[in-house]
Amino acid sequence: MRSTIDKILLVILFFAFLVSIYLIFQWVPQIKASNPAEQIAQRIFYFHVPSAWLGFLAFFVVFAGSVAYLMTRNRKYELISVASAEIGVLFITLVLITGPIWAKPVWGIWWTWDVRLTSSLILWLIYVAYLMLRRYLPDGSKRANLSAVVGIIGFMDVPIVYYSIRWWETQHPKAVMASSEGSLAAPMFFAFMFSLATFTLLYVYLIRKRYQLLTLEDTLNKQFKEMEIL
Amino acid sequence: MMRTAISILKKDLRMEFRSKESILAMWIFSLLIFVIFNFTFEVSRLVMLEIAPGLLWVAFVFSGMFGLNQSFALEKENGNLRAMALMPVDGGQIYVGKFLSVTIIMLMFEALIFPIFIIFYDLHLSLGMFKLIPVILAGTIGFTSLGTILSAVAVHTRNQQILLSLLLWPLVSPIIIWSVTLSGMVLSGEVTEAFYPLLLRVGAFDVIFFTLSYMLFDFILED
Repeated sequence: MRSTIDKILLVILFFAFLVSIYLIFQWVPQIKASNPAEQIAQRIFYFHVPSAWLGFLAFFVVFAGSVAYLMTRNRKYELISVASAEIGVLFITLVLITGPIWAKPVWGIWWTWDVRLTSSLILWLIYVAYLMLRRYLPDGSKRANLSAVVGIIGFMDVPIVYYSIRWWETQHPKAVMASSEGSLAAPMFFAFMFSLATFTLLYVYLIRKRYQLLTLEDTLNKQFKEMEIL
Repeated sequence: MMRTAISILKKDLRMEFRSKESILAMWIFSLLIFVIFNFTFEVSRLVMLEIAPGLLWVAFVFSGMFGLNQSFALEKENGNLRAMALMPVDGGQIYVGKFLSVTIIMLMFEALIFPIFIIFYDLHLSLGMFKLIPVILAGTIGFTSLGTILSAVAVHTRNQQILLSLLLWPLVSPIIIWSVTLSGMVLSGEVTEAFYPLLLRVGAFDVIFFTLSYMLFDFILED
């Protein structure tokens, strides 16, 4: 049953990505910009922003999973948190890679210590530390507790990153989706939403897979322990 | 009700006043930071004035790590961590005690290093400088409230010191960034209307981090 859903998801994902690539690179009209490199680079927006949104979503799941774990002590929630943290780090890594690729032709530099950039890097570091903490601790309820605590405290910095473009002067483009001043042309909006939906589906697929893998590891470890006792 | 917290605070402070280990180490280390910065960035006096607030906080927090690392390492060494976990009291009490002792020790160290900072960077004392007190207080409380709980987390790992740094630095960085901005305003004598809202924001995050840590500390102690 489980694998049927995954297979269906995979097929949908495959076609959704084909469509979004078509939408992003063929269908969406060229933006008006004086610099031709900027016109091409702008298309990275359809990968960059959904990745960032999913990073936030993934870290929210870490937070929610950590709270749920501490309340119920159900290992399931611990594993969901871990899986989500790993995927969140992956997506924020994508953000940190696609950002400089866009910035080089547009700003002329790969990186600047702008608030938005710095805070995204800090966010990445927080969840890398979360994963490192788990590596340093032996498996068990102690590790589950400690990482849940860090998962909850770590999420407190997410709003700071999110609001950083409003709280400080920044070079980073404004949020076009969540603000009233910004507006996207209709085709761009559609392509963006499609890309966002595709990425979200990818997140769902990845977290399912990772969670299954983690439970498998668990069962295997249990069996090994039983064999040792015998 | 707060008896446990106060006993822990008293014990920690007594230990510190007898050995003076943390404060002395922190103070000397801060001096070293000033010296190292001076010869690694040979800059003019004008630039020095601009980076002075940042330098002050670098000295504060790098040295503060000593105190944080000490705080739970000592308990673990003597098996006291387990004893604390067995105490029939709310874990939050232990957190409050530890938080208070770390904060008080750090504030005392800051008070001792600040005159040196003034002399080294030839800053002029004025009445306006009193505005630094709430800034340092808010920044330090943010640092120690997070630092205390993360130190208790890190103490369970093999690589306690490095892990505490990895966990604490990114999480506390917004508070430190704001504190540096605020200190810069005071030191340059340009306290704008943005000062109080920003100070309030640091205070708000202090409250959030403190309350969360207080609530979560029980989970760290239990096995």
